[in-house]
Amino acid sequence: MKKLLVVDDEHDICDFVKSFFQERGYTVLTALSGEDALVVIKEEKPDLVLLDIKMKGMDGIAALKHIRDIDKNVKVVMVTAIEEQERMDEACRLGACEYITKPLVLDNLEHAVEKNLK
Amino acid sequence: MASDKPKKAPSWDKLNNIFMENSLNRNGSRADSQSPDSKSARERLQMENAAPKYDYQAFLEKASRTMIRFKKPEHLIKMIVKTIDEQLKVTHTAVLLFKEHKHSYILIDSKGSQGIKIPIGFIKLVEDNPLISVFSEKQSYLISETGILRSDDVMAGLRNREILERQPDLYDKLLLIKKQMDLIKAKLCVPCYFKRDLLGILVLGEKISGENFTREEMGFFVTLANDAAMAIANAFLIENLQQKIEEIKELYIREHRIFIHTSIAMTAAIDARDPYTHGHTERVTTYCLAVARELEGIPEMAHYKNFRETLQIAALLHDIGKIGVPDHILNKHGKLAPEEFEEIKKHSIIGATILHPIKELSDVAREVRYHQECFDGSGYPDGLKGMDIPLIARIIAVADAFDAITTDRPYKKKKKVEEAIQELKRCSGTQFDPVIVSAFLLAYEKGNIITNGNQHPHLK
Repeated sequence: MKKLLVVDDEHDICDFVKSFFQERGYTVLTALSGEDALVVIKEEKPDLVLLDIKMKGMDGIAALKHIRDIDKNVKVVMVTAIEEQERMDEACRLGACEYITKPLVLDNLEHAVEKNLK
Repeated sequence: MASDKPKKAPSWDKLNNIFMENSLNRNGSRADSQSPDSKSARERLQMENAAPKYDYQAFLEKASRTMIRFKKPEHLIKMIVKTIDEQLKVTHTAVLLFKEHKHSYILIDSKGSQGIKIPIGFIKLVEDNPLISVFSEKQSYLISETGILRSDDVMAGLRNREILERQPDLYDKLLLIKKQMDLIKAKLCVPCYFKRDLLGILVLGEKISGENFTREEMGFFVTLANDAAMAIANAFLIENLQQKIEEIKELYIREHRIFIHTSIAMTAAIDARDPYTHGHTERVTTYCLAVARELEGIPEMAHYKNFRETLQIAALLHDIGKIGVPDHILNKHGKLAPEEFEEIKKHSIIGATILHPIKELSDVAREVRYHQECFDGSGYPDGLKGMDIPLIARIIAVADAFDAITTDRPYKKKKKVEEAIQELKRCSGTQFDPVIVSAFLLAYEKGNIITNGNQHPHLK
């Protein structure tokens, strides 16, 4: 079973995305901060990370840099507000597979994960 | 907005309390009707466990009266979501609203159990989402007579062999709709229409008890959705209206600016012919406005539709008629012969005649005509006296004379400001309206009559 990690400092989003993908047959882990995410990635080695850019403390971009140090191969899909275009470009340079802008279309979220885990 | 008086717009908390009181009262009266003596504890327990009875009619009546007073539709929507969540025990409730600039329906409020509640602002449905087209295209065969799209109906359609065999297109559509409803775990989708526009969708999950929604409950949702649509549409109309008002204001300001600039251009034409009066109209206008500030509030101002504007334009254009006075008279050095002076005197009538065809400037034309009248009736062209001379003309007369005294003219040298002031005082009550002279003196004392631009043009 493919393993996903959802990183978002909003509880509601972690909970919702978790149950959304659990129902679609994934094992889903959550982390409420960039720092927590790094610990989970080290221990659990997820196949794909859904990473929010705007977070308190370590943000998604900083977390992405550290993730690359820990695990070169883990797929990362950025989830972000539309006005963060510059940082999305930065994320792409840092090796994020793609980004989804909030508010998002649920089909797109599903496809982005499916596609990158094939 | 004038209607936004704090008294009339109850606060969010207050409305919230009214709502909660309503539901508490309702619960209370139900408890009262069951006297503890007449029913055993077990019976009471059974009654309370039975399908929760809800007096929707009474609730809606009170609710809609309260709701309509919400200033922002978002508040009403929050209230609707909260009410449904607290009173109906559903897995989740959400409202999506159409945002024109995003071309999609954005989830703006939601409640529900952990993991099922859709986070606020997290998802959107694009305009061509099958779930949206069902409503926007009014595919009535998919929607029950209440206007609600029910997942049970969609399922029934999918199980119907007839549809599968004879209407494959419809079958595919149903599949797509089913998938979209499943994505957001919708048991019911209630449209919020205003006229023919789909403004939003109220989404409901299942009842936690697993029971079906009753007819009454669905009617309740439809009413709430309609209230929400009404509130959104109202807010939208008000916003549009305010925008229109702003646009009109802007247009007015622009038109006013064009008016003023046209007047300035016309005065420049007069000034160009008469180097001695260079800057005269500009200074007279400044003096007039300074005097007007001291006159603020006198009843006569109310006779004008827009006093300040009329004053400004009239002051700018008071000498426009000089265009019709021959150059040799206008620029003559030394004293004018009586017949030449008669020519000069025509300029106020010529000015009024020039402005006459401009309907919007009829007030201004009158003031231009009378700006050479004297308070004692000795002026021209009509020999008007006292208050028969319109206010603005009386103001211009003083400002005009003051500038004439303090600047060089072909026929005389300028005098000091102090001497000019003395002359105004001397002529107060004869040539000038004493009230205007006092106002001029007040403005002068306050330092609002600034004459430092009045050097001879050739000395500049």
